[in-house]
Amino acid sequence: MAHSELILTNVTKRFGGLTAVDALSMTVAPGQIYGVIGPNGAGKTTVFNCITGIYKSEEGSVNWRGEEIRGLTPYQIVDRGIVRTFQTIRLFSQMSVAENVMSGRHIKSSQRWWHGICPTPGSRRDEKEHWTKVGELLEFFNLEEFAATPTASLPYGHQRRVEMARALAVDPTLLILDEPAAGLNDRETAELVETIFSIREKGITVLLIEHDMELVMKVTDYLTVINFGKKIAEGTPEEVQKNPLVIEAYLGSEDDDDE
Amino acid sequence: MKNLTVTVVSIFLVVMAILPHFLDARWQTVAVTFLIFSVVALSQDIVLGKAGMFNMGQAMFFGMGAYITAILNYHYDWPILATIPVAIIVPVLFGILLAAPIVHLRGDYLLVVTIGFNIVFVQVLINNLGGVTGGPNGIFGIDPMRLLGFELSSQLAIYYFAFIVLLLTLGIMFNLEKSKVGRALHYLREDPLAAESIGINTRLYKIFAFGLGAGLAGLAGTVFATQYSAVSPEAFEFIQSVLFFSIVLVGGSSIPGVILGVFVMFVVPEIFREFATWRFFVFGFAMIIMMILRPRGIWPATFGKIPKFLIKDTKHGA
Ligand SMILES: Nc1ncnc2c1ncn2[C@@H]1O[C@H](COP(=O)(O)OP(=O)(O)OP(=O)(O)O)[C@@H](O)[C@H]1O
Ligand SMILES: [Mg+2]
Repeated sequence: MAHSELILTNVTKRFGGLTAVDALSMTVAPGQIYGVIGPNGAGKTTVFNCITGIYKSEEGSVNWRGEEIRGLTPYQIVDRGIVRTFQTIRLFSQMSVAENVMSGRHIKSSQRWWHGICPTPGSRRDEKEHWTKVGELLEFFNLEEFAATPTASLPYGHQRRVEMARALAVDPTLLILDEPAAGLNDRETAELVETIFSIREKGITVLLIEHDMELVMKVTDYLTVINFGKKIAEGTPEEVQKNPLVIEAYLGSEDDDDE
Repeated sequence: MKNLTVTVVSIFLVVMAILPHFLDARWQTVAVTFLIFSVVALSQDIVLGKAGMFNMGQAMFFGMGAYITAILNYHYDWPILATIPVAIIVPVLFGILLAAPIVHLRGDYLLVVTIGFNIVFVQVLINNLGGVTGGPNGIFGIDPMRLLGFELSSQLAIYYFAFIVLLLTLGIMFNLEKSKVGRALHYLREDPLAAESIGINTRLYKIFAFGLGAGLAGLAGTVFATQYSAVSPEAFEFIQSVLFFSIVLVGGSSIPGVILGVFVMFVVPEIFREFATWRFFVFGFAMIIMMILRPRGIWPATFGKIPKFLIKDTKHGA
């Protein structure tokens, strides 16, 4: 727990005239469950996209364990142990649950391109090893019976679990969740809380965006609140809850916390 | 579905292994063409079906292999067997070099660029660039293949040459299904952004698909050149690429679907010879009707393979 894992400094991302993220700085410590909250359109997802390499911020720095990762491609960032899920679920929808989870093992597999043409005993062993790992994850997420089911035909709550399982298959150091509770019912949300805690237990740092305030207050250690791309507050959930700026931002947009 | 595919392909291969002994010379020729075009269509399936890239230039790689064999044999007296590695490697290199700057393009743009490549390629052949392609007439008088002192010039021998190439192609396709690279192609086809975000260098795998597809098509080209002892530009026109493209889509980009597509396109017209001129007419209509009635193809592909030990409860199975 000596030094910070992820440090954003003055990250700015513009879309034409719109400044979606405005000089945002934040610091995530190892083992933390770190929350990013804010009203709709505040720029939360855009921040995540800047961290995960989907966008490159125009200004500022994204530092991961002492390395500047701004400007790297998404797959290079995954290679460094940062994985994300999407606000609108993005699964390989025609493929089975097991194959979706297996995609997370991609960077862990030692197979080279020629093994796809001509397998070797070593590549078969590698294949088996990663499928076994997929089996464990399916068990962890209670998805075993759906192993062969195409994800498109699963209910929404299950799809969220598949996406999480796929991200965890990478054995990440930092797991980024974009509104993991969106679309879940109360029971599923309660399960999600358990899951997030057990993920932290594995030593994985969690960074999450969430609209469900109750969930945020329950699971996060530390929070950053953004509005119109700017940080308006940060602190522990208790501190943030009392902050008048936060209360105002949320009262101003209380009616639209879906999506 | 998956077991059905294996069964169907197995039966097909057994039939194909003994088939030529029941055919006369003309039908043997048709059967060889069927095998060769199946290989090209399957190579197109790797690019279009598996990786989802709109490549409309597969006939170019096919022609490249055919011409390399023809040129090396006719002008430089290489034995056919020795031309095979070159007829694979050169298309692979071209596949990689041509794909590298264009694979990031959106489907429709990629389509136009690959059509352009194919047209340029045929123009190069027609204009006898370097004085080795023989211009519009092509090259006649390619040697038969020699193996262990035997001259494999009969249609039967060429049939088995083509059959081995098809077996090799099918072997590669089955291996791909059970490998990291094969899955990577499926992932990037399904959702490139999700694939990148889970750690897959999509660009690299797209280029891989192009290279592999080009190599197999090139190998099929060698067989084609030995079958006719000749090559000429019109066999590799862009319209041929359109056919291979359509066959994969109409077939549903599964192995049985693609082979069925080749059969309908190249063998059925021979059966109904008097209607042969109607081939494009019939195929055109078949394409239209198929895509309306079964937009995912005659025999839609099921993606990938998962090991049996993961399937706990088959009632949810795909
Ligand atoms: N690719 C893009 N092009 C143009 N504008 C964009 C793009 N992505 C996001 N924006 C804009 O940037 C702003 C921030 O969007 P973002 O998706 O980051 O918000 P958010 O905080 O995640 O909102 P929500 O709670 O609705 O998910 C919005 O005004 C949005 O319209
Ligand atoms: Mg968002």
